[in-house]
Amino acid sequence: MKVAEKYTDAELITAISNEKNLNSAILFLYQRYCESTRSFIMSYGGNQQDADDVFQETVIAFIDTVTKGKYRQEASVKTFLASVARHIWFNELKKKERAGLREKRFESTRDQQQEDVSQQIGDLEQRQQLRDIMQQLGEPCQTILLLFYYENLSMKEITHHLPYENEQVVRNKKYKCLQQLTGMIKANPVIAGQLNELIK
Amino acid sequence: MSLQHTHALIDHLDKTLTDTPGQPSSEESAAMQRLISEDEDIAKEWNYLHLAVEAVREKGLFEQVAAIRTQWEARTASQEEGEGIAMTQETPADEKPAGGALRNLYRNTMRVAVCILLFAAGATIFRYVRLSSSSLYNAYYSSYELNTSRDASITDPIEQAYIEKNWPEVLTRFSTTKERNNKIDFLVGMASLELKKFDDAIAHFEQVMATNSTSHTDYFEDEAEYYLAIAWLATSKVNEAMPILERIKSNKDHLYYQKVSKMSFTDLRLVQYKENK
Repeated sequence: MKVAEKYTDAELITAISNEKNLNSAILFLYQRYCESTRSFIMSYGGNQQDADDVFQETVIAFIDTVTKGKYRQEASVKTFLASVARHIWFNELKKKERAGLREKRFESTRDQQQEDVSQQIGDLEQRQQLRDIMQQLGEPCQTILLLFYYENLSMKEITHHLPYENEQVVRNKKYKCLQQLTGMIKANPVIAGQLNELIK
Repeated sequence: MSLQHTHALIDHLDKTLTDTPGQPSSEESAAMQRLISEDEDIAKEWNYLHLAVEAVREKGLFEQVAAIRTQWEARTASQEEGEGIAMTQETPADEKPAGGALRNLYRNTMRVAVCILLFAAGATIFRYVRLSSSSLYNAYYSSYELNTSRDASITDPIEQAYIEKNWPEVLTRFSTTKERNNKIDFLVGMASLELKKFDDAIAHFEQVMATNSTSHTDYFEDEAEYYLAIAWLATSKVNEAMPILERIKSNKDHLYYQKVSKMSFTDLRLVQYKENK
């Protein structure tokens, strides 16, 4: 694996926003910031696996925030990532019900910045649930939807990648898959409830 | 909400996702947008569709970050290992340095080694770019010849059509027959594979294996297992194919052991890495 390119904060944000060389940007985030997150999480009772999971979620939340144009650039990337990691680990601890002292220590260190971060990165729980729902979708549907909506491939390009006869077959399959996924989301009481609240 | 409406909504969604922001919308798009803002049900469906796309993108990003994480963890682990080896190989302070001739020999050897390494890296990169599940499928797929000595005479119409390599006829006859056994399922799976109906082929091979599993038999088990792995490769699911191929490779009694042993597992792993990226 090559050494990641070095980015300034501004270059990193641009690389992520343009979604070009995203792998290189992710690798840079790992090489530059993963260790400090590990030390932080491990000093608050997590093990290395916890720390790496938290950092992975942190990177996802950061990229998502940037690509949606919600990253405000008031703090450095380092500070932002540290706040996101802290926020995620705090929620994780709450979920695991490791109550008591450790949580109280966290509570007392939660500040305005944490609240801002929480607003910027959105609902972590909902994102996890969306991923779980997507995971339940059949493999052919996952592939076709990922190629179209994540890799941004055209119907023609997808036809070359998958064993479908022509573009129309791919298009019909994509309709079905997206409807199936939508149906599964509708059937999820938590997400459906949140959406209904928003619409009201 | 009608299917037609849903499809129109999906088309509109795809269009809004690919349109450049600020670009003037077409009349059709404007009409659809009005419909969304005026009809509560359509608005609801519209939001769910957005959420579905969000789910897809979440999953895509998660997989991309997970792949980099795996690479990074492997790299840090190998670096730590390397540092460990370097520590144990450090020259003691009082050891005499090697002579000039020896140093030159060492340098030349290192140059040759670097050249070989660069060449090997180049070849690997070339192979990596060229490789895909489909290319492996093309390389490893060979038709299944029905061994007629299994049964003395061919009376089964499906078998007859299979021997004549009339693949569509195999499927047609299967759709009209009530009889079903492992041999029929396997042949229909093979005919589907020949017609590139990979999902159907997978379903038939899995049926053979499921029947064997419940009835504790092994009729056409090895054949179905091998061609199931090949069908997974055809559908770019190298992750599904790998465990099957590894199982076959570790079983010398398997009918397809020789064939699988000749496969390049390095290529398979490269494709696995590439497609999990």
